[in-house]
Amino acid sequence: MATAFKRKGSRVVARFDENERTIVRELLDQTRELLTPSGGLSGDPVEDMFAGLGTAPDPEELARRDPALARLLPDGHRDDPEMAAEFRALTEHSLRQRKVATLTTAIEALDQPSARDKLELDLGQAQALLVGLADVRLALGERLRLRTDEDSERLQDDLSDAGADAAEDPRLAIGLYYDFLTWMQESLAGVLL
Amino acid sequence: MSVAPPEHASPDVDLDVEAIEQTDQPWVTIVWNDPVNLMSYVSWVFQNYFGYSQAKAEKLMMTVHREGRAVVSSGPRERMETDTEAMQGYGLWATFEKDS
Repeated sequence: MATAFKRKGSRVVARFDENERTIVRELLDQTRELLTPSGGLSGDPVEDMFAGLGTAPDPEELARRDPALARLLPDGHRDDPEMAAEFRALTEHSLRQRKVATLTTAIEALDQPSARDKLELDLGQAQALLVGLADVRLALGERLRLRTDEDSERLQDDLSDAGADAAEDPRLAIGLYYDFLTWMQESLAGVLL
Repeated sequence: MSVAPPEHASPDVDLDVEAIEQTDQPWVTIVWNDPVNLMSYVSWVFQNYFGYSQAKAEKLMMTVHREGRAVVSSGPRERMETDTEAMQGYGLWATFEKDS
């Protein structure tokens, strides 16, 4: 059973059992896969930087993009499609690389060997996990079709009403993961603020 | 934005915080409300990236929450594009535009 994060000097500690850690890791990994540019990354930062420099995403790919990915890489301008496309051509590749790198740091932090379910992070790892959780929750939130603050409140109500039966309902099962990550992110933000 | 129940972020906002400076600058970065990002996280992002004080970050966060959007920075276009990309890097729903 997980415990909330606590600050210990320049480190942040919490407890997550193996099952919880596996779920969080898997969701971080799925989000990383979603964000990895097609063709993958070479692993060489300079090569990857030049590979994506100034290349606009294929308009067809953009149009049929997974809504969760579209949510993670929104338009940079609301009223001017040309300016939005120009911004995307300039930034999307590096934005994806940065998100992938952050998620990788978070995943590696969770992969550290631990005694008695203890998760101990330095501040860099804690920040990467905090930011990585934001992307995972955005992707799950898109699957749950959370569009307004009222949608989020309704999900909370539905989860409370369903209680132990929530896991039987496909939507609420995703809702349970989302809810766990919400608690985890809130706890982590609380100690980093 | 949302909070993790049953906890609630305190809307303990210092109303004396100065408004966004440099409103005469031609371009702005806007952060839009969304139902997923946590109030505490959004405050943390504004403090961590812009170096805003806790009071200023919370005031901006509450503006996003209550009014649906807030101007979080202003300046030349290139810098607003950098800020927009940075906010998107944190998962916030950010855009830039010419100040009207």
